Amino acid sequence: MVPSSYYLALAAILFSIGLFGVVSKRNILIVFMCIELMLNAANLTFLAFARQSGNMAGHAIAFFVIAVAAAEAAVGLAIVIAIYRTRGTLHMDEVRVLRD
Amino acid sequence: MNFPTQDFAALAPVGILSGGALILLLSEVFLASTRRGYQASLTVLFSILAAVAAAGGGSPGVIFNGQATVDAFSTFVTVIVCAGLALSALVGAGWLRARQAERGEFYALALFGASGMALLGSATDLLFAFISIEVMSISTYALAAYIRRGKKPAEAAFKYFILGSFSSALLLYGTALVYGAAGSTLFAEIGRAQGPLLVVGLGLVAVGLSFKVAAVPFHVWTPDVYEGAPTPVTAFMAAGVKTAAFAVLTRLALVAFQATPASAANSFAWVLAALALVSMLFGNWLALTQRSVKRMLAYSSIAHAGYLLVGVVAAAAAGAREAALSSILFYLASYTATVVGAFAVVAVLERRGRSLDEEPADAWDLERFAGLGRKRPGLAFAMAVFMVSLAGVPPTAGFIGKLLVFQAAISAHAYGLAVVGMLTSALGAYYYLRVVVYMYMRPAEDREIGLISPAIQVALALAVVAVIVLGVGPETVSKLARAAAAIGM
Amino acid sequence: MGDRAEMAVFWIFTVPLIAASLGVVVTKNPITAAMSLVGAFFCLAGIYVLLTAHLVAFLQILVYAGAIMVLFLFVIMLLALQEEILGVSRIKVMQGFGALGCVGVFAVIYRAILATGPRMMPQVGEDYGTVKAVGRILFTQYLLPFEATSLLLLVAIVGAVVVAKQRI
Repeated sequence: MVPSSYYLALAAILFSIGLFGVVSKRNILIVFMCIELMLNAANLTFLAFARQSGNMAGHAIAFFVIAVAAAEAAVGLAIVIAIYRTRGTLHMDEVRVLRD
Repeated sequence: MNFPTQDFAALAPVGILSGGALILLLSEVFLASTRRGYQASLTVLFSILAAVAAAGGGSPGVIFNGQATVDAFSTFVTVIVCAGLALSALVGAGWLRARQAERGEFYALALFGASGMALLGSATDLLFAFISIEVMSISTYALAAYIRRGKKPAEAAFKYFILGSFSSALLLYGTALVYGAAGSTLFAEIGRAQGPLLVVGLGLVAVGLSFKVAAVPFHVWTPDVYEGAPTPVTAFMAAGVKTAAFAVLTRLALVAFQATPASAANSFAWVLAALALVSMLFGNWLALTQRSVKRMLAYSSIAHAGYLLVGVVAAAAAGAREAALSSILFYLASYTATVVGAFAVVAVLERRGRSLDEEPADAWDLERFAGLGRKRPGLAFAMAVFMVSLAGVPPTAGFIGKLLVFQAAISAHAYGLAVVGMLTSALGAYYYLRVVVYMYMRPAEDREIGLISPAIQVALALAVVAVIVLGVGPETVSKLARAAAAIGM
Repeated sequence: MGDRAEMAVFWIFTVPLIAASLGVVVTKNPITAAMSLVGAFFCLAGIYVLLTAHLVAFLQILVYAGAIMVLFLFVIMLLALQEEILGVSRIKVMQGFGALGCVGVFAVIYRAILATGPRMMPQVGEDYGTVKAVGRILFTQYLLPFEATSLLLLVAIVGAVVVAKQRI
């Protein structure tokens, strides 16, 4: 039997990798994918705690998180397309008309 | 388990708002014509109906196994959100019509956003709060990108989206840890849990919410997004998103303050106090140097998040809790009326380029306000009232709001926060009153201001009346706020 | 399944999962990142099965790998992002600080997890994590979030259409 702390530590690693990607990557799409990775880390945590306590609330929550991720992806990718149309780039350093 | 009809009935205001959104979407299909004037009126009608339904619906209390609570607090929040929605829709009508960009989708998204905010005001479960935040946020992301002329709006929407979904991810992972510590995401259960997992989880949730309320150091998106988004959308974000996010933050803070180990509750209060302090200092300081009035209002909204956080911190002391909660509610009401009004004036004076894609650098420059007092005395008077209210000078709503918050802080023995709050308010008066000086003491720039659309005139009149009435006779509303504060304790 | 076999399966999924996640943040090419993420989602689905979360594992592949990532790839193809691949990365110093910060965050979370102690998983019933059991929870205990999610999906559809269509 794999103890729950293994799963939780794995989720924490995924969360940290996603966090690192968000703060360090410059490509809009890759940043967005790193956010998806963080959502998945949360899902793994929910499922591990659900399994540990033997109730299924975590499964229902994971279901909602997947739906939320789909909704975010739809609007987010629409915004990515809009920004590419006006700018012609997805590089965050170029996207800075609004700075200062 | 029976079907919870009564629980659904308690959420009637949300039903009215989202049903209204559907009607507006369909109107674009079946009634589309060049005349879309009815759409703004319909939006205002639905927000009034929702506010009436909320006020008349009573307080059934806990619904859906504790995931939501419809009480006086959530009713108050819903009414503020509806007022903010109605005023922003009126501003939007005038602003969009001048740009031939009025569509039913705009109002539909605003109504959807408001239903998310109303849900958030009643959320007493972290998962449900997360989903409500997403309903609210996704509507506002789309609204920020609604009109894409030039480069700024798409970029504002993008920045808002990336930082918004990042903060949602932090909030969700925090929720997962809290679920592990408490075995549930219900606020009621979280209050009984303890342990390091709970502390880390609640910390991540607090960081996620700080992004939403734009508290320093999680404010970096605010100036860019507020400046780049269409002005009516900025007004809606400043009023609605802030109100709803503070509603859930307040409820959650109350849970954390009552947590069993006093040390955890104390550290939570200290973290919030630190956020309040830096938000007040940096918000006001950064606003000082802004020449763009729209950007100045963005920084000022960070400062106001700081003042509101002072109210939340004051709620940590059991003796001051009722005063603190009612002060937060009153502040949110007064801030909504004031900030939507101020953005309405900004929307009127905004400079547009000759071509669709041109973005004049001085679109919202202070110079645009020069000599306004002589050319448009009515508009200048309205702006003066809003600026005076934001600065917290009597006899306006902003003054009473600040007074109540600082009183609550003093009775909670948070003297330092109260003093810093008063000092930074004095600092803030400088940049707010500078706008007034420009309007009344600078010679007019030689240029014509177009006619102000009737919708914006109505919004301005309502906002001015609200700000002055709340400032001169605050008793009725503050009594309601006190009644609303008597919950959740 | 024996204890040792289960542990072996855990590592069989975990090692490629971490490798694929690192692949997402290391590469500069969005297509490589997306494919790594698809791989990560498949491994994660395997781990969900180990956690007896059959329905969620199924949804993970169906919705995440099947729909969301296909949407990502579709957008990457649509925008023809070749020139983006060579984009300069942020200054290395900043990346170093970012990595340090993330290790710090991980350390804080890991300590909190360890403080709760290693818990053994309890035995669960035959229907744990099945469609029927989770569906029952969704429509009773979680009815309100379920309805709110339906509202959310509607908002997302409207929002995506408004943002992606011809500009107004």
